[in-house]
Amino acid sequence: MAKRAINNVKLGFFVLAGLLIMIFSLYMIGKDTNMFGSNYTLKVRFENVHGLTSGNNVRYSGIQVGTVKRVKILSDTLIEVSMLIDTKMKQYIHKNDIVSMSTDGLMGNRILNITPAKDGSPLAENGDLLITKKSVSTDEMLETLDKTNKNIRDISQELKLTVLKINNSSALWKLLTEETLPDNLRASSFSIRKAAANADGMVQDLHTIINDLRAGKGSLGSILTDTAIAYNLNEAVLSIQQVGNHADELVRELDDLTKGLKSDVNSGKGPAHAILKDSTLVIKLNNSLSNIEKGTEAFNQNMEALKHNFLLRGYFKRLEKRKK
Amino acid sequence: MPLPPTWQQFLDEAGGLSRFTGRFFSQGFKPRYEITELLRQCYIIGYKSLPLVGLTGFIMGLVLTMQLRPSLISYGAESQLPAMVGIAVVREIGPVITALIFAGKIGSSIGAELGSMKVTEQIDAMEVSGTNPFKYLVVTRVMAATLMLPVLVILSDAISLYGSYLGINIKGVISMDLYFKQVFDALSFDDFVPAFIKTYFFGFAVGMVGCFKGFNSSKGTEGVGRSANSAVVVSSVLIFILDLLAVQITDILGLN
Amino acid sequence: MEQVLTIKQESKVLEVTENVLVIKSLYKSFGENHVLADFNLELRKGENVAVLGKSGSGKSVLIKCIIGLLVPDTGSINVLGRNIEELSIHEMDELRTKIGFLFQSNALYDSMTVRENLEFPLRRHWIKLSAGERDKKVMEVLTNVGLAHTVDMMPVELSGGMRKRIALARTLILDPEIILYDEPTTGLDPITGKGISTLIKEMGEKYNTSALIISHDMSCIRATADRIVMLIDGRCYAGGTYEELRENKDPKVKQFFE
Repeated sequence: MAKRAINNVKLGFFVLAGLLIMIFSLYMIGKDTNMFGSNYTLKVRFENVHGLTSGNNVRYSGIQVGTVKRVKILSDTLIEVSMLIDTKMKQYIHKNDIVSMSTDGLMGNRILNITPAKDGSPLAENGDLLITKKSVSTDEMLETLDKTNKNIRDISQELKLTVLKINNSSALWKLLTEETLPDNLRASSFSIRKAAANADGMVQDLHTIINDLRAGKGSLGSILTDTAIAYNLNEAVLSIQQVGNHADELVRELDDLTKGLKSDVNSGKGPAHAILKDSTLVIKLNNSLSNIEKGTEAFNQNMEALKHNFLLRGYFKRLEKRKK
Repeated sequence: MPLPPTWQQFLDEAGGLSRFTGRFFSQGFKPRYEITELLRQCYIIGYKSLPLVGLTGFIMGLVLTMQLRPSLISYGAESQLPAMVGIAVVREIGPVITALIFAGKIGSSIGAELGSMKVTEQIDAMEVSGTNPFKYLVVTRVMAATLMLPVLVILSDAISLYGSYLGINIKGVISMDLYFKQVFDALSFDDFVPAFIKTYFFGFAVGMVGCFKGFNSSKGTEGVGRSANSAVVVSSVLIFILDLLAVQITDILGLN
Repeated sequence: MEQVLTIKQESKVLEVTENVLVIKSLYKSFGENHVLADFNLELRKGENVAVLGKSGSGKSVLIKCIIGLLVPDTGSINVLGRNIEELSIHEMDELRTKIGFLFQSNALYDSMTVRENLEFPLRRHWIKLSAGERDKKVMEVLTNVGLAHTVDMMPVELSGGMRKRIALARTLILDPEIILYDEPTTGLDPITGKGISTLIKEMGEKYNTSALIISHDMSCIRATADRIVMLIDGRCYAGGTYEELRENKDPKVKQFFE
């Protein structure tokens, strides 16, 4: 009798274990299908559901919140999808939230994504219709890709034609192989360098004058009170600065030009561009040179004026004597 | 029109089994109910089969995982291993393998037990002792087999999945949490419920055939052996036929 | 001893008209094989009748018809004043508590201990007994057959003779009025068989039963039966005491005594 009771206990244990495992697995399976727990319905309408069926997952910002309950055809262009959403989500889903359709993974099931609208619209109630966003489906993607491919084909065809034309035009090639252009450029840059050297020499001269002044050669007080001298000196410095600036600019532009030319020649394109650059270059070079000329001229004038100033006359005379 | 003897024998057998099943339904649900004996049989048929069923289930899960692994790796879908094993075990392998093992163990033991009881007049003795042997022996055993096989299948499924979990961890690494999450994510009620329902029919078939063969055992020890043997053969074949039917029915009902 | 015998004889005389079992023109056939054809038998209270016949002559069929395991084709069987054909299943079960049946193969339940085997009929017949009473009854009947020590053993652990005694104990536990013995000494060695025969006789007196003994074992029949009925060709071929039949010159009867 006692043995039989123990057997019944074992049997009960066995059956209970089976039942528990079954209930557990049913719960685990049912957890995602919203069979347990309270939920509410939201609706959304699509033109094409791309194979969405009841039981597919619904996600809110990527979080599993419910499943598709039913897919119903309203008319030949409209399909209504009812979604069962966990009641806990009621405080997050708004009326203007956007529903879009996508695929779980590359080849997975269809899923619906609810994206928050973030526009402060009221919370969605049971049975509300949410807004849809046309999603990119693989089909559409392929369609667009097809169009792009066609465009690329057209473009490449035209490119081919252009290249052929360039290859056939001898004038362009001549321009590219022209050797006088770099020579001229080299000459121009040489003169600029010369001008700059001149300017440098002038600055050096000024420097010595000022040093001499500081050393007390001549009357320091009168120099300082003589506004004319101060003005002249100022002018001279400014002119020198200008010259330097112009020279700098010029060098930079020249550099750019040679770089541009180099790359143009290397890539074998834009001989026309080079010509264009050439004309502006010439004008700019001319401008620069004339500017430098003007600057040096002004400096010379200033120097002359300084020489004739009575205060410095003696100094200059002494300078000439020393030279002799 | 005379039928060939083998056909006649087959039809005789089928008719006999049908009548026996009919008798089960006409007598099985009327009082008196043999509750104590039913519990005893549940213990013998269910609880005592657990080690065998558990062992085969465990090995099945382990082997299935290790066999599937190379081909899944060649598809780059190694991470799908839990999902695939889970579906295979729950939908088909768990119920059918367990039912076959069950047929081998329980079908033969019922066939032999009732056969020997028939031969040694124990069945007659029961009737004389104021017991309906059909109710006392057949109904309890068939009920026990019908009720216990689903429980065994569930436990075997669980053990199988655990075996598979270990199988994955032999060559790879997966946490228990992630493994069972993937398994249950892959499963739906459509996988679980039809597979579960069909196990009742498997259990019923095993019990019914075992009892039929034993109850109609011919005299002599050879008859006992033969009824045990044919109980296993017939119930195993019936399990496959029922499985075929089950898949057709779930297909028609759109549960696949 | 003398006194006891006279009392028993007196009771026999008193109840001589009371037949516990009356079989009239019983027919039973399996297909073309007519096992029983116009069989008649009367069993009086307290009487031990042996049915003698060859193997396959329908002896077992006869007692299985009496207990209701087989249904006769035609003819009536009246047990303890009730016609078994007219009884419902429930009434039949009730009647069966008064009929003991000792199977040829003992039919002890292999899955149960000796105690459970003996308790089985008590439980199954809805006999309301407390555990103590039931236990007492089991021990009493086991002591009567001399096997009280085997109470917690399984039938497979016992010898053939012991199994037969246990089986007898099981038939006796319900205090039946009639006991049907199906070849009680078949399969036993002569010495054990003799012991069983003695036991049958003793128990019949102790429990005051009538008995119908089916056998082809002459020593058993001689030891147990008051009267012998010869079953040949499906009917009562001859009847009488052992001594009477031994004197019978009919060749069919004679072959049993050779």
